[in-house]
Amino acid sequence: MIVQIRVDDRLIHGQVALVWTKELNTPGIVVANDNAAKTKAVQMTLQMATPTGKKLLIRSVQDAIRVFLDPRGKDMRLFVLVNAVQDAATIVAAVPGVQAVNVANVGRFTQDAQDAQALSSTVMLTPPEVKALRQLAASGVPTFSQVLPSNAKQSVQSLLKNAHS
Amino acid sequence: MTSLMIASHGHLASGMQSALQLLTGLGKQVTALDAYVDQGDDRPQIAAFVAQASRPAVIFTDLYGGSVNQDVVRAVGDTPDVFVVSQVNLAVVLAVLLDSEPLDAARLDALIAQSQVRRVTLAATGDGGSTADFFD
Repeated sequence: MIVQIRVDDRLIHGQVALVWTKELNTPGIVVANDNAAKTKAVQMTLQMATPTGKKLLIRSVQDAIRVFLDPRGKDMRLFVLVNAVQDAATIVAAVPGVQAVNVANVGRFTQDAQDAQALSSTVMLTPPEVKALRQLAASGVPTFSQVLPSNAKQSVQSLLKNAHS
Repeated sequence: MTSLMIASHGHLASGMQSALQLLTGLGKQVTALDAYVDQGDDRPQIAAFVAQASRPAVIFTDLYGGSVNQDVVRAVGDTPDVFVVSQVNLAVVLAVLLDSEPLDAARLDALIAQSQVRRVTLAATGDGGSTADFFD
């Protein structure tokens, strides 16, 4: 069962490893990312960032979806990391029962940022990403932005108010 | 909840507090003492923390035997449930800040042991992990 899909440019890093795995009480962490799934150095650094006692799986988005549909995962609380809004939308469309999507840190490393729009101080999206966010908003899965548990949740509707296309 | 102070030479303490705020949003739960950055005496602030902080309390100092550490050790003396930890690093402060177990000397030693400085080696473990192990 996916407790939360977090969209974060940095996938597993300090905030995620230390704070969110504790907050969400998720023994399993799945990184669903095509680049990480084929890059050994990225996998090593993600393993380093994984807290002691948590299980980590790194898969491409499509392979991760197969993992999420595996009946063995039905009762296991999973925290899923992606680094693109489109990847979160792809997973939500393919996997029933996702409990939440958190669009936390997006766009800091966007190369071609001319047509990106700042929807909040930590979320800057290109037009295809805005489109994916609208899909998430329409999916019925609770979607919000919350960098740390001590921050208030910003709803997807209030993020999309700042989108001009 | 454990009361925490970091006491350092210069702005290391407030710098660590800034990093803790960024990582956890809990920076304000830590008292930072940047010693010797102005002409004032820093000892009253240490004494006030020892007198007023809820217990258990931990004071982290930057260098074992350094002057800040000496001031802290003199202020704490044998006060019960106030622990002094020297050679601070960010990992150990995070570990104590986020820990949910009741803090005693043994628990503190365990958190310190998990937070050592270490040389980073890229062992040949880089793969995505096995699905069978994951669901095991």
